[in-house]
Amino acid sequence: MARIVLKDLVKEFGLFRAVKGINLDIQDGEFLIMVGPSGCGKTTTLNMISGLVPPTSGSITIGDKDVTFMEPGERGLGMMFQDLALFPHMTVFENVAFGLRVKDTPESEIKERVHKAADAMHITPLLSKRPGQCSGGEAQRVALARTLVTNPEVYLMDEPLSSLDAKLRIDMRTELKGLHKRLKGTFVYVTHDQAEAMTMADRIVVINGGRIEQLGEPLEIYRKPATRFVAGFFGMPTMNFLEGEVAAADGGPLFTNAAIRVPLDATTPASLAGRKVVLGVRSEHVETGTGTNSGEVRLIEPLGDASLVFFEFGDATRLVAKVDPDLEFKSNDKLTFEFDPGNCHLFDTESGVRLN
Amino acid sequence: MTDATLNGTGGPARQGPRMRLRAWLGQERVFRWIPFVLVEGVFLLVIIIPFLLTIYISFLRWRANRPFEQAYLSGFRNYEQVLTNEGFWLSLGRTFYFAGAAVTFELIVGFLLAMAVHRVVRGRRIYITLFLIPMMLVPVVAGYNFSMIYLDSGPLNQLLSPITTALGFDPRIRWLSDPTAAQLAIIFADIWQWTSLTFLIFLSGFSALPPQLINAARIMGANRRQIFFWVELPLLKPAIVIAIVIRSMEALKMFDPIVMLTFGGPGTSTQTIAHYLWEQVWMFNKFSFGAAASVLVLIMFSVLIFTGIWLLIRQSDQVENQQLNTGSDR
Amino acid sequence: MTDDIYKPSADAVAKRHKARFDKRVIVRHAFLIAWALVVMFPIYWMLQTSFKDSGEWVTWPPHWVPHEPTLKNYEQIFTFNVQQAGVARDATEQPFNIWGSLADSLIICTFSSLIALLLGTFLAYSISRFNVGGKRFRHSVLMIRMIPPIVIAIPVLMYFAVIIPFATESVFGTRISLFDTRIGVIMLYIAISLPFVIWMMLAFIDEVPYTVEHAARIMGASRMYTIRKIVLPLVASGMVVTFLFIFILNWAEFLLALTLTHPDVSTLPVLLNKFQSASEGRLYGPQAAIGTVITIPVVIMGILIQKHLVKGFSFGMMRR
Repeated sequence: MARIVLKDLVKEFGLFRAVKGINLDIQDGEFLIMVGPSGCGKTTTLNMISGLVPPTSGSITIGDKDVTFMEPGERGLGMMFQDLALFPHMTVFENVAFGLRVKDTPESEIKERVHKAADAMHITPLLSKRPGQCSGGEAQRVALARTLVTNPEVYLMDEPLSSLDAKLRIDMRTELKGLHKRLKGTFVYVTHDQAEAMTMADRIVVINGGRIEQLGEPLEIYRKPATRFVAGFFGMPTMNFLEGEVAAADGGPLFTNAAIRVPLDATTPASLAGRKVVLGVRSEHVETGTGTNSGEVRLIEPLGDASLVFFEFGDATRLVAKVDPDLEFKSNDKLTFEFDPGNCHLFDTESGVRLN
Repeated sequence: MTDATLNGTGGPARQGPRMRLRAWLGQERVFRWIPFVLVEGVFLLVIIIPFLLTIYISFLRWRANRPFEQAYLSGFRNYEQVLTNEGFWLSLGRTFYFAGAAVTFELIVGFLLAMAVHRVVRGRRIYITLFLIPMMLVPVVAGYNFSMIYLDSGPLNQLLSPITTALGFDPRIRWLSDPTAAQLAIIFADIWQWTSLTFLIFLSGFSALPPQLINAARIMGANRRQIFFWVELPLLKPAIVIAIVIRSMEALKMFDPIVMLTFGGPGTSTQTIAHYLWEQVWMFNKFSFGAAASVLVLIMFSVLIFTGIWLLIRQSDQVENQQLNTGSDR
Repeated sequence: MTDDIYKPSADAVAKRHKARFDKRVIVRHAFLIAWALVVMFPIYWMLQTSFKDSGEWVTWPPHWVPHEPTLKNYEQIFTFNVQQAGVARDATEQPFNIWGSLADSLIICTFSSLIALLLGTFLAYSISRFNVGGKRFRHSVLMIRMIPPIVIAIPVLMYFAVIIPFATESVFGTRISLFDTRIGVIMLYIAISLPFVIWMMLAFIDEVPYTVEHAARIMGASRMYTIRKIVLPLVASGMVVTFLFIFILNWAEFLLALTLTHPDVSTLPVLLNKFQSASEGRLYGPQAAIGTVITIPVVIMGILIQKHLVKGFSFGMMRR
């Protein structure tokens, strides 16, 4: 059983509170990704789970053991680092065997397990080489082999793919997901890349400023972001945001600001009337060619499967729309647009909390 | 880049996992403090305590030929004597003169050498190996070598003889018997040996110049001179500062060549402060005088030392900041 | 790339194929060759003097190559057989024992360098990983080295020769003096070598990324295990370089050895000096021989570590 429970975890570095009270229940066998901007506390949290950093207060439980102050080596973890941290002076074999040697495993067992892990990661031909002689991808897999050879219950990963080039990164993503399926361990993964989080996670926890902003499955986070921050963090291109207020009108609730009036969905709570809000709408929910609003195209980015149209309207407010690739817009074209009311998100202007 | 935050802060004693942690922490403390205590202990024992004792002695009136027990306190008398002693001030001034002259020359020549070696393609290895040798020579041996060369019937005079005889002088110049000539001889001995060091520092400075910046300047049309003065020289500033600080500090301690070549002579014309102090204690046995003089010299040099260290710290901070901006996250 | 002082600058290589007889290149080489001659000359002179017989020592014009090369000088210094007219009395009474000085120098330098290396490396590790001593400690240790040795020579002399005997006599009843002992010199050399050891080993240890130690720790290794199996192997070459560097420095150290030892212990530099002052007529031949003996080992060591000296003297200039 490798369920991880974090309770009221706080970490202070002198006067600076890096982690401000995190409560998290990580299920056995799930692939959980902690995502957030640099400096948000996600790595510190991971380090507390691993034992490299002791928490200022709070507790950490792995399985049924309270590991809060336990030695990292005793927690039964495997960890992957951003810079891989392979031992440059040892062969690949010795690198992978290290965790077993430390625990005085008999030599024959070491050989067997190292070879098994090497097979699983397809690095058997590299066993007698040094890390310096391996390519980026090969080194990654050596690091992985080293992590899994000790059969940990929990795998911690600290931005392991950040230093890879784009193509390798995507390949490794698939490989990691496959590994997770085969090994059935609990994966706790940290990244600042939202695309990585979306593609790999069973559940995502979004951390900002030392606190959890939202916890949920990827699609849920994408479709119903709990705060403005989460909404803006996920999705490429970033969600469009407009400031204004909600007004009650005959046809139903309305979002207005100086430049635009957007009819809102009927499910919008009536209590919002008169409130200052931020309206968020994703680029794929901005429909062009219909509606009463008009704007002028500034830039087009053809992606192949869609095109991004950057346009301006009103008093130089900029928006992005994701449109069919066959629609050929040019700079300075005029277009009409409207928002899909069912997919408009409303957030409180000050707190950023979701309102609808 | 430190591990400072990633170590146990300790918790209240408890069974099980926390006990193991304490065992680990016990080791951590070992690593943290024992080396520090040992090293500081060595410094304390061997350097600081003697020095404190010296301060005490500097307030005594004591000559070495009388046993220690007979010494008695005499206040600032020794300091007065030192401060009014002509020899003290003269040798101090001379020290700065020697150091100044030698270091200036070493900086310039070392810089030019490094620049030349950096730009040359063939024979770099040989040049570098050769140029570094003087620095590795035992200074005493170097001093001795020069004593042979400076002989009136030595090779230097022989080499200069075409010029000297043409000018009507006796080519057998007695370098070490004439005050000015002796001073020049000492300065040159220092230059010969320590230009290697400035050369080394500047060479590593030149090697660290990022080629991208220079290429960028070339593409923008800068000519050689402009690139040198506007791009390379500013980038070499750390090296220059380091060379000046390190070399100046060392030059002020000049001692070995003087003992081997001139022993302070003729007269006292080549006596540096180090030699002067040494003479007072070793030759004349004026212990408390020497003690007071040492204290004074240390105070004076401390100002220089602190300035030097401050400059070095500032330099490495600046370089660190520059590195941070060349973008790696965290 | 930044570490490689042997690689020529980009434009130098580019121009290589152009004018090989480019004026500038010739001037550069001329300058460099001139200085190379200046550098080599005293060394050559010493070498060739050591092979000269006494008749050739002071001739006018001086001989640039011994006309009658001889090994007599070496013979003399190695067999205490210095019989020359004009050698002062106490010189003959106390044979100029190069073997003794060699032993003294070797023992003193080896022990002090080794101990300083061990102590200093551990402290460097503490500073690098635990920030022991605070932010500025690594710079302030250098201060010890910047103090002019004369300033500590006098105090330490009095300390060793007078204070300590006085103290031990009052406490233990026996006068123990550290003056003229190898141990005394060793202790002092340790103290002045430590700053350099700390400084250089810090640079080497900093290069070992701490994530590597974390990885080991996660896998259950204790701190000692990690140091033994991971950190030390990675800084081993650095340790060798540092050892050689301070060995060279201690070998050459003169002033402190001079003040603190007479007559039992004398390191090689002190011996050379004794030779100089004791003899009325200068014994150039044997002196040159001694000089050569002193010099050759450290020059060889120096050549071995020259590339690493670059790193040590860069004081953070190098961009990683």
